[in-house]
Amino acid sequence: MKHAVKGTFQVAVLMLFSYAMNQLAGLLHLPVPGSILGIIVLFILLESGIVKLEWIEVGANWLLAELLLFFIPAAVGVMKYFSMLESDGVRILLVVIFSTVVVMASSGLTAARIAKHKERKVS
Amino acid sequence: MMIGLICLLLTLVIYMAAKRLYKRYPRVYLSPLMVTPCVIIIFLLCTHIPYEHYNAGGKWLSDMLQPATVAFAVPLYKNFKVLKKHAVEIVVSVLTGSFMAMISSAVLAKGLKLDTSLVTSLIPRSITTPIAMNVSQVIGGVPNITAVFVIMTGLLGSVLGPMILRLLRIENEIARGVLLGTSAHGTGTSMAFGFSSMSGAISSVSMILAALFTLGVAPLLMLMW
Repeated sequence: MKHAVKGTFQVAVLMLFSYAMNQLAGLLHLPVPGSILGIIVLFILLESGIVKLEWIEVGANWLLAELLLFFIPAAVGVMKYFSMLESDGVRILLVVIFSTVVVMASSGLTAARIAKHKERKVS
Repeated sequence: MMIGLICLLLTLVIYMAAKRLYKRYPRVYLSPLMVTPCVIIIFLLCTHIPYEHYNAGGKWLSDMLQPATVAFAVPLYKNFKVLKKHAVEIVVSVLTGSFMAMISSAVLAKGLKLDTSLVTSLIPRSITTPIAMNVSQVIGGVPNITAVFVIMTGLLGSVLGPMILRLLRIENEIARGVLLGTSAHGTGTSMAFGFSSMSGAISSVSMILAALFTLGVAPLLMLMW
């Protein structure tokens, strides 16, 4: 029970913080959204010891564990574009699938190769 | 308002059921991110509830994406040593992947004779929604349509990710994180956390790097096009 109260409180703190970062990004006319600014600022606060990990860890882990849930309304929103997808859907799907495979293969294989090379160098 | 609230509760119930189902039958096509929206869309079509009414409740969940994204700072902080140690391979492969994402989307979309506005809307599809919409606007795409392509990429990425990892026999944790974060933004990162906290942290960094790189480079690529 205490854990649940703590988690809820910490989620509320993170919500407030991300809201503040949104306002800040808008105020400074930054090209990055508040959430990305928020990651960077929170990271610096943690690294410098101003914010202690225990203050937010439970809440942060909750949010990250249920991340997929927060994408669902946007995914349902695809239904608004059914008419566009009816005419161009197959071609769009081909682009997304093919390009995603290309990105996965190029980034994954590059990383695997460099990591392997580094390992060999060490041993 | 009442409908929105009911839809919100319904989403939560279906999501929890889909998660249970996935736990029992862990098949890629049964991923909660695929099953939940499909069930909801069918429900909305059958009951003739327009998306706007659904989203009156649904937007509460979408709003949680912001604090959830900020929460990525925690695994970054916890895994900072590992990230520093592997900075070279992470940066090089994310830049390679992001570059390929823009080029392959543009070339293929053009080759398939899609409208120019769809081609430009497809270019930033592999990065996180808010930045993708921003890039789309700058290069002459339609931000709202880009948002649809971003979510399509996330959905397909969650199906393709495990298949490609198996096919290419990628077992290295760094490579796994990079692959998922670069190709499928938050959705991929969420999957990477399923492998390990370290893969998740690497995927978070990759997602951020890919977004910033695309933000800076996409307008330049458009000039050269």
